[in-house]
Amino acid sequence: MSHPRWPLQFLKMFCDPSLVDEIEGDMEEMYWKWLSKYGRAKARRLYVFHTLKFLRPFIFKKRSTYPSNSFDMVLNYFKIAWRNISRNTSFAFINVLGLTLGVACVVMIYTLVSYHTSFDTYHSKADRVYRVVTEIHRDEVSYRAGVPQPLGKAFANDFSFSEKVARMKAYWSVIVSLPDEKDVPKFKEPGTVAFAEPALFEILDIPLVIGSISETNGALITKKYARKYFGTEDALDKTVKVSFAGTSHDFKVTGIIEDTRPNTDIRYEVFLSYADLKHLVPWFVADDAWGSIHSDMYCYVLLKPGVSPADVDNAFPAFERKYFPKEDAEAYAFKLQPLTDIHSDPNYGGEFKKSNLWAFVLAGVFILAIASFNFINLAAAQILNRAKEVGVRKVLGCMKSHLFSQFIVETGLIAIVAVIAGYALARLTLPAINTLINTRLELSLTAHWELPVFIASTWLILVFISGTYPALMLTRFQPATVLKSKLTDGTRGGFTIRRTLIVTQFVIAQLLIVCMLVIGDQVRYSINSDMGFDKEAIVLLPIPMWDITRARTLGNRISEMPGVRNTTLCFESPAGNSNSFTGVSFDNTNKIEPWSINLKDADENYLATFGVQLVAGRNLLPSDTAREFLVNETVVKRLGLASPQEMIGKRINVDEGTFVGEIVGVVKDFYNLSFHENISPIVLTTNPERYRTLAVKLDLANSNEPIAAFNRLWTETYPDHVFSYEFLDDRIAAFYNHDKAMLNMVEGISVIAIIISCLGLYGLVSFMAVRKTKEIGVRKVLGAEVKHILWLFASEFVLLISVAFVIAAPLAWLVMDGWLEQFIYRIDLLPMNFVLALTGTLLVAAVTVSYHSLKSAVANPVNSLRAE
Amino acid sequence: MRKTYLGELEEIILLTVALLYKDEAYGVAITQKLIELTSREISISAVHATLHRLEEKGFLKSHTGGATAERGGRSKRFFTLTVSGTKAIKEIKELRETFWSQIPKSLQTKPL
Repeated sequence: MSHPRWPLQFLKMFCDPSLVDEIEGDMEEMYWKWLSKYGRAKARRLYVFHTLKFLRPFIFKKRSTYPSNSFDMVLNYFKIAWRNISRNTSFAFINVLGLTLGVACVVMIYTLVSYHTSFDTYHSKADRVYRVVTEIHRDEVSYRAGVPQPLGKAFANDFSFSEKVARMKAYWSVIVSLPDEKDVPKFKEPGTVAFAEPALFEILDIPLVIGSISETNGALITKKYARKYFGTEDALDKTVKVSFAGTSHDFKVTGIIEDTRPNTDIRYEVFLSYADLKHLVPWFVADDAWGSIHSDMYCYVLLKPGVSPADVDNAFPAFERKYFPKEDAEAYAFKLQPLTDIHSDPNYGGEFKKSNLWAFVLAGVFILAIASFNFINLAAAQILNRAKEVGVRKVLGCMKSHLFSQFIVETGLIAIVAVIAGYALARLTLPAINTLINTRLELSLTAHWELPVFIASTWLILVFISGTYPALMLTRFQPATVLKSKLTDGTRGGFTIRRTLIVTQFVIAQLLIVCMLVIGDQVRYSINSDMGFDKEAIVLLPIPMWDITRARTLGNRISEMPGVRNTTLCFESPAGNSNSFTGVSFDNTNKIEPWSINLKDADENYLATFGVQLVAGRNLLPSDTAREFLVNETVVKRLGLASPQEMIGKRINVDEGTFVGEIVGVVKDFYNLSFHENISPIVLTTNPERYRTLAVKLDLANSNEPIAAFNRLWTETYPDHVFSYEFLDDRIAAFYNHDKAMLNMVEGISVIAIIISCLGLYGLVSFMAVRKTKEIGVRKVLGAEVKHILWLFASEFVLLISVAFVIAAPLAWLVMDGWLEQFIYRIDLLPMNFVLALTGTLLVAAVTVSYHSLKSAVANPVNSLRAE
Repeated sequence: MRKTYLGELEEIILLTVALLYKDEAYGVAITQKLIELTSREISISAVHATLHRLEEKGFLKSHTGGATAERGGRSKRFFTLTVSGTKAIKEIKELRETFWSQIPKSLQTKPL
C-alpha cells in the first residue's frame, strides 16, 4: 500500500535537515489523499513526481556555520598564477605560443583525419552499400573501379543478394547548354554530369528538395547548379541540352537535389536518366557489351540485410564464367567494395590511404608532445623561483595535494588560453589550408559534438602531460632547505629528464625535416624528370570527337599561325588522364599476350610534336584508318626479342581483331603514366575516330598571345562548344597532386615542430643565462673570452642535437624508404638530406641560442658580481 | 526602505494563510484550499517554496507541531501572518479599491 521510498531518500541527499520533517509529512499526507482518490498506481506516480519536484533551490543545505576557506584558497591559486604569469610575461608568452601552435596543428590534423574517415559514411544504408569493382589478373594485377556496362543488370537478374542495384556512368567532356535561355549559354562540365538509374537515389542519400525522379528524359540538378544555370533554385521543368561524344539530347529538370556534401566522392551536380543513354550511345548500353571496362562506369548495390559480401564474392567466379570467354573469365575478378572504403583505397582511385592518415595522427601526437615538453622544460627551469613560495606554503600547513592542485590550476589556465587561441588560429588558417591541400574541411564547434569534446580532451591531456611532472617536482621541496636558500642547480634534479625531452623534441623535428626534404625531392623529381617526350610549351586543346574534317581544318589553320612549330591530332598526350588498355596478339596467332597494351591513337605528327624518338623503322604514314602501327621498347622486351629491328614487319592484332596491321617502327620508351606505375607496353596507330585532342607545340619566343588566337579559331570551328586548354606540363604535374598535398602538410607540420622546439630552446637559454650570470662573471674575471662563454652555451645544445640526430636518422631512413616504395621510379635516399636536416636544426638552434648567450657573454662582469 | 514586492502567487498564499484558522495553515491544507478556491493546479512543492520565501521576507512566521499518524508521525509547520504580512495584504486590498472606485460604474456593473 505504501509509496516508494527512494524519491525521499534522494531528496535527503540535498535537503536541509530542518526541512525534511515537514516535507516528508506533507508528502505522506498527500499520498494517502491521492490513494483514496485515484488508486495505487497513479498515487505512487504522483508521489514520485511531486516529491522530486521539491528539488528546488530553497531546500538546499545552507552554508555550514564554519565556512571552510578552500574557496578563498582556490581564488588565491588564481591570484598567484596570474602574478607568476605577469612577472614572467616572456615565459608565459613562449609557453602560450608553443601550445597554441601545437593545438592549432592538432586541431587541423583532427579535422583532416575525421574529414577523410567520414567520407560517404553519412548514407543511412552505408553499411549495406557496395560498389562492384574489377580486378584484372594478367601478368600483373590491375584494379579498375569500373565494371562492364551490362554487369548491373545481370547482377540484379542472376542473384538474389541485392535489394537494389543502380548503374551510373559519368562523362568527362560534357557540354551543357540551355536552349530556352537568352543567348543559349553553354557550360563545360568536366566530371560533374552522370547518368544514373533511379535506384541510385534509394541506395544513396541524395535527397530531393523538390520534384521527382524520372525514368527518361529527366535531369536532377543540385541547388548550386540550378543557381549556376538559371540564376534561381526554382528550375523545375526547365530544359538542359547535354552534348558529349558527338551526340546531344534535351533533358527536362524534374527535380532539384541538395548540394553535394563536402565528404562524399560522388560529387556529381547533374544526374540524367540512365535510360536515355540508349539514344545517345546505343553501342555502349547494349546488353552484350561485356567486352570493355570503361572508366567511370560504376555499379552500386544495396545488399539485403544479412547478406554478407563474402557470399557475393564467392558467387562471382561462376558469374564471370557465364558472361566471359574462358580466358577472360580467369582474368576478370569482380569484387564488392564497401561504400565507406572507396575514399581510402588507392587501388581504385581512393584519395587517401588509411596508413597516411595514421601517419598524420602520429604527427599530431608528436606535435602535442613537443609542445608539452616545452612547457615541462620551461616550468622545470622556472621552478627554482617558486621554491620560496612552496616553502612558505608548506610551513603554513599546505599539503602536497594542495600544492599539486595549485600548479595544475596554473597549467590549466595557460593551457586554456592556448587551446582557445589554437582553435582560433586553426579557424583562421583553414581556408588557406583547404586550397593548399585541396580539401573541403570544415571547422565548426556546433556542427558535430566530436570537435568540442576533442578540444576539451586535448586540453585535459595537455594539462595532464605538461602539469604533472613540474607539479610533482614542486611538491618535493623540503621547506627547511628552500627557506635557508640552500637550493642549487644540483639539488634541483630532473636535469636528465630535461635533456631527454629536448632530445625527443629534436628527434621529432629532424625526422619531419628529413621527410619533408625527401618527399619534396621525389615530387620535384617526378615533375621535372625527362619523361621521354617534350612537355614544355605544349598546349592541349580538347576537340569534339567524330568530326575529323573540322578537326583537320582547325589543325591546319593553327599550324599556319606564327609561333606554332607543330600540331598533332590524337586521343591523348603521351602521358595523360585517359588510357585505354586492351588485349594484343602478334603474327596472326590468336594467342593473346598475358599483358594488356596501352593503345594510343594519333596521327603522323605525334612523334614530331611530342619529340618521341624512333629507335627502329619509320614513322606512321598519314591514313584515315588504323593501318600501320608503332610499338614502344617495352613491347620488344615483353616479347623477348633481341633488338627493336626484329619488331619491324610483324603483324599486330589489337583488341581481338579491331585493329590489325603491320608494325612499321619502334619508339623509345617514354613514361606514359605517373612515376607510381611502370611504363606500359604501348601501341600507336592512326585512328581518326578517336581523336579528341589537338596538341600544339609552341615556339615560345615567337608566339604572341597564342591562347587567345586558338580560342578564336577554335570557336569559329566549333560554335556549339566551349573552348578550353591545358598545358601539358601542368597536366603531368597534376599527377602528383596527392603527393604535393602530402608534401604541403608535412612541410607545415615540420615548420611548426621546429618553431615550437626553438621556442622551448629560446626559453631555456634565456633562463640558463640568468642562472649562470655569476658563473659567467667569474669566468670572465678569470680571463675567459667571449667565444669560451658562447661555447659554454652552445656545447650543451650541439651535444643534444647530435644525439637527437643519431636517433632520428635511422628512423627517418626507415619511414622514407617505406614511403618511396609507392613509386616505381624513385629517387635514392641521399645522405645529403640527412646532413641538411642536421645542419639546419643546428643552425636554427644556434640562432635561437645566440641572442641570450651573446648578451650574457659580452656583459660586463662588474654588473653581475657587484651585488655579492 | 524600498517596499518588498509581492508576487501574485505570494499574495494569494498570504490570503489563504489568513483565511485558514490558527493551527490549520500548513503545507497540505494551504495547497488544498488554494486548489479549491482558484481551481488551478498548483503543486505542493511550489507552495512550500513560496511559504519559505514569504517567511524570509518577514510576512509569515512559523512553528512546528501537530504530528499525526496519517503523516507517519512527522510534524507539521504551521504558518501565521506577521504584522507586516497583515499590513501587506491590507495595503494591496486598499490599493485595488482605490482603483475600483475610479473605474466607471458602467464597467463595474457590467456582467461577465
